[in-house]
Amino acid sequence: MMKQFFYPSSIVVFGVKDDPKNLAKNIIANCDEMEFKGKLFPVGRTTGKVFGRTIITDPKVLPNDIELAVILVPADLVPGTLEICGQKGIRHAIISSGGFREFNKNGKTAEKKVVAIAKQYGIRFIGPNCIGVICTNSGLCTPFSPLQPKNFKKGKVSLVCQSGGVSIQIAYHFSEEHLGFSKIISIGNKLDLNETDYLAYLLKDPETSQVHLYLESIDHGRKLMQLARETEKPIIIYKSNIGSTSSEVARSHTAALSSDERIINGAFRQIGIVRADSIHDMTVCAKALQLKPLTGDQLVVISLSGGFSVILGDTCENYGFSCPQLPPALIKDIESFRRGGVIRMSNPMDFGDVHNYEGLIFALEKCLELDFIDGMVLSLMYGPDMACFFGTEYEAYNTFLDFLSNLSQRFNKPIALSFFAERRFIDTFKKSNVFPVFNDPIESVRALRKNRDYWKVKKHISTIRSR
Amino acid sequence: MKILNKALSENRSVLTEYEAKKVLAEYGIPTSKEILVDSETAFMEAVRNIGFPMVIKGCDPEIVHKSEKDLIRTDIRYEREAVAAFHDIWPRITGVSGGILVQEMIMGKRELVAGLIRDSQFGPSVMFGIGGIFTEIFNDVVFRIAPIDKSDALSMMEEIRGKRILEAVRGLEPVDRDQISDILLTIGRIGMENEMIQEIDINPIIISKGRGVAVDATIIINPNGKKPDDE
Repeated sequence: MMKQFFYPSSIVVFGVKDDPKNLAKNIIANCDEMEFKGKLFPVGRTTGKVFGRTIITDPKVLPNDIELAVILVPADLVPGTLEICGQKGIRHAIISSGGFREFNKNGKTAEKKVVAIAKQYGIRFIGPNCIGVICTNSGLCTPFSPLQPKNFKKGKVSLVCQSGGVSIQIAYHFSEEHLGFSKIISIGNKLDLNETDYLAYLLKDPETSQVHLYLESIDHGRKLMQLARETEKPIIIYKSNIGSTSSEVARSHTAALSSDERIINGAFRQIGIVRADSIHDMTVCAKALQLKPLTGDQLVVISLSGGFSVILGDTCENYGFSCPQLPPALIKDIESFRRGGVIRMSNPMDFGDVHNYEGLIFALEKCLELDFIDGMVLSLMYGPDMACFFGTEYEAYNTFLDFLSNLSQRFNKPIALSFFAERRFIDTFKKSNVFPVFNDPIESVRALRKNRDYWKVKKHISTIRSR
Repeated sequence: MKILNKALSENRSVLTEYEAKKVLAEYGIPTSKEILVDSETAFMEAVRNIGFPMVIKGCDPEIVHKSEKDLIRTDIRYEREAVAAFHDIWPRITGVSGGILVQEMIMGKRELVAGLIRDSQFGPSVMFGIGGIFTEIFNDVVFRIAPIDKSDALSMMEEIRGKRILEAVRGLEPVDRDQISDILLTIGRIGMENEMIQEIDINPIIISKGRGVAVDATIIINPNGKKPDDE
């Protein structure tokens, strides 16, 4: 039922005009730019051409096998347009137009007509009041504002979003963090399909390994919990509309109602839904849950800076972790790699006096090997001159991340990695996408907390289910 | 349940403290021993029956916040005090199901709150936190969606900011977390089994010798109570 929303063989866009101010034509430009392979038919009221295609003014001449309609016409014309879709055998629609319940009372009447027509013809639709779908694999990109889809990166995270603007920012931010995304759905007023329908689909979608949602209201709490209970895929929710101020905006925005935050928090904790509090935090969660599961609260912290060792000690404590004493024999062995012999080693471990790769590898392996250590926080310095540690400057990034990835696999323990370095170098590490790199040391510890809390609940739920 | 149906037939949406605790007691939640009376003769007999120290409360379905209406006398240790309390409170009780509640005084320094809210999206949700006068001051409560299991209940106790109150602080015995778990699980069950119950508020649960006893409670009902959407 849902596939046509992401992989339609052909689409028709209603509301196109050969006019610089026309919005619907941007949908065609975005799809072209993203190299959408299916057929594309622009429909409008006046003749003309957009991006090399002739605008169709009589929908009767449309072929009969179109799989998806994107509708961006004034709200009062939406029912008529949907009727045309029905007659043409189109069973999937994205209703982008605004001006429904979020706008005024007449909008509610128009909504009723839309629902009745959809029901009559068996049409399922996204929206209204949304920007539809971006699918990096098919190249479908239905937002009506001009975008730079070439910058979108493919990935395994899919997102459901109760806001068009947030959808677009998520597309850019996830791409810039080099996580990429598979599908983004802007769901608008949820008049037909709602967040749990999309979630249920994405949880079964082989191209999706995590599902993130941006929501301003939760309308099907029990259903959401049931889906979360039954899936192996992480669900991350950024829920806004918490205070009374944002509630006013939300009402005019997507007709959202705020429910009690504390109940939502309780429900999420109970079922292992990770709560994010910003778009960036969603990317932190995404990386956190790409790491191996953290099964306890005891960490070893290694930093190439004394200062960051201290900061990380504080941060671990703040997030409920402890950094236990390491065996004296091990400390002695690691200390033998020091150059100046001027820094005493402990946990958190200031590695500032060890200037060779062998020493670092030795410490990483021996510390991860310890039974009482559940995971590692690693905060390294990086500059091109240090590349000789790991190979030449150009190989260094992949080689080192590969090494960490294998180490984490071998001991089945997470390593939360960050660098203190120029942003462009950090970015190069992130870009190689071999192993998650966090933007700063504090963020890496926060990620471990999210990882730990998630797996604690998940493990408990799976024990109960297997009983 | 009989008590719930009686209130409904009288067109009431709020159970009295006495009724609410009867519901809780029927489900096995420990409640303070008490007798509801509607005459001075019955009152005097109840006073002898309950024993000192005791609490005397006005019990009226119209009045939810008894302390704000000055309808509670605690730590009554002598018969003359009890009689004075009766004459003070009795004239102010007007409701049809009202009366005077003679209650054993549960001794304990720690007060917790537990309850239930039927959320429009998540359905019956169990609440737990710091009780008594501090409920409103600290707003330290957490929720789980019913039905809950023991690990949910234990994690609720770990999640409140004031969780140290459950420990062996200042010479007090540690709170019996298993027993509190049982109370929370039972509240969830009440919510699942009785659609018409919209809200339960047990405040305070006083910790006496490490175990919780429901000392005051309110239950709000709605005859048109809806089921959560997955049932």
